[in-house]
Amino acid sequence: MSTVLEAKGVEAYYGKSHILHGVSLSVAEREIVTVLGRNGAGKTTTMRALMGLTPPRGGSVTMLGSDVTRWPSYRIARLGVGYVPEGRKIFGHLTVLENLMVSEARPGKWNLDRVFELFPRLGERKGQLGRQLSGGEQEMLAIARPLLLNPRIMLLDEPSQGLAPLVVQEVMQVVRTMRDEGLSVLLVEQNVPLSLGVADRAYILDDGKVVYSGTAAELSANEELVERLAGATAQH
Amino acid sequence: MQLLLFNAFNGLIQGVFYALMALGLALILSLNSVINMAHGGFLVIGAYLAYTLAPYLGFWGALVAGPLGAAVIGLVVERFLVRPLYKRPDPLYTLLLTFGLALIIEDLTRTIWGAQGLPFQIPDILNSSVSSVLFFITGYRVLVVGITLLVVLGLWAMLRYTRLGIRIRAGTLDLETVSSLGVNIYLLRALNFALGCLLAGLAGVLAAGILGLTPPMGSSLIMPSFVAIIVGGVGSLVGAVLGGLIIGVAAGITTTYYPAASDAVIYLIMLVVLVLRPRGLLGQEGLFE
Repeated sequence: MSTVLEAKGVEAYYGKSHILHGVSLSVAEREIVTVLGRNGAGKTTTMRALMGLTPPRGGSVTMLGSDVTRWPSYRIARLGVGYVPEGRKIFGHLTVLENLMVSEARPGKWNLDRVFELFPRLGERKGQLGRQLSGGEQEMLAIARPLLLNPRIMLLDEPSQGLAPLVVQEVMQVVRTMRDEGLSVLLVEQNVPLSLGVADRAYILDDGKVVYSGTAAELSANEELVERLAGATAQH
Repeated sequence: MQLLLFNAFNGLIQGVFYALMALGLALILSLNSVINMAHGGFLVIGAYLAYTLAPYLGFWGALVAGPLGAAVIGLVVERFLVRPLYKRPDPLYTLLLTFGLALIIEDLTRTIWGAQGLPFQIPDILNSSVSSVLFFITGYRVLVVGITLLVVLGLWAMLRYTRLGIRIRAGTLDLETVSSLGVNIYLLRALNFALGCLLAGLAGVLAAGILGLTPPMGSSLIMPSFVAIIVGGVGSLVGAVLGGLIIGVAAGITTTYYPAASDAVIYLIMLVVLVLRPRGLLGQEGLFE
């Protein structure tokens, strides 16, 4: 399996505060990798750094064979990287269809028809404003938008946040579908059992450093560690 | 009664210029986060370019070329002066930049075309009155209102139905997410800035046909245009148009009864709106609604 995403010693700051201290991680083709950790461990910053939204001040990021460390976000997206931000970031004053039209559609099997096939609810509600959707529908829309880029890598930041358990299962099913379609997925989650259930490998972040990496199966077997992680998160 | 109508109509024409200016200002403020103090400068550029090109292109050609010229210069200004400042979150930098630019443009205009007012020739046919009773409604004034109406409708349709317009609306809310969806936001902001300058240039050409050309014509229109945005509601394009028309007509009507207060009434309206409805008339529903 070839590596599609590799971060090496990424350093990131918000203003003067040093958030990421040399984060290294990798994702292989068709692999689902999860990043776990407490609130404030640097998970979202890691995603933002990978996506060029909080540009790394040190280290390097390579995606799909290109060094994207200094690239603006839109170039990374056009290379074939989808990003589902934390909190979904739906354009509430735009309709569902308009939300989808913002994406820079690239040729490939994902087009509007396919997206509406995967998320029939969005098709039914394409004329409604983003802010009128339920949390689950908003999450679907947040996933559908970057799918139109026909990405090869998908970065998902806490897709289960604030969703009902049934909806969360749906989202995870979508993640599996994406992998079956040939995508590689990097999944940031607070929900430890959930993400370990779907992931191949896992990283644990703490204080902006990678403190554990291994297969999801290994980590699941390490009850003490899972317990500590889960106990440290607010939701579980 | 006829005097009142006369002044109200004059005010409406003035309001149309405010509205065009305010629209451009509001576009640039919302997406580029720039308080464009140089917006009056782009009005002047549009007007004087049209004046200079009219002998070669005719009135109608100049009417198109002037605003386009202002848009092209807007593109250059955005690319080389404004863009380097986007990284600084404090809007003071671009405010100071465009303030300086406004002074430079005004003085350059004075150097190139002279400080005296210049007349802008409009076709004779447009100079005649539409009716003998309402003598003040000339063909040109009808044209001004008509063009503005078309432009506002066109802009609305562009923002509503085209991908570019949808992205501009999305970007006013969350530019970062727009970028992460593969949209070149540098290009998006540049086009938006140029679009705003195009509207200013158009206001300039249209105003030149009525008020003539003077180097400070832009700076005299810019403050009421800011007031129009505040009255209409920051972030609302419809509000910007409405605000411009309201203060224009109000100033016109005031001229009938107490001419000295016609400028002050604009600010009085702003005061009243700010006290009663701090977000402006249409500012409450958020951006571009």
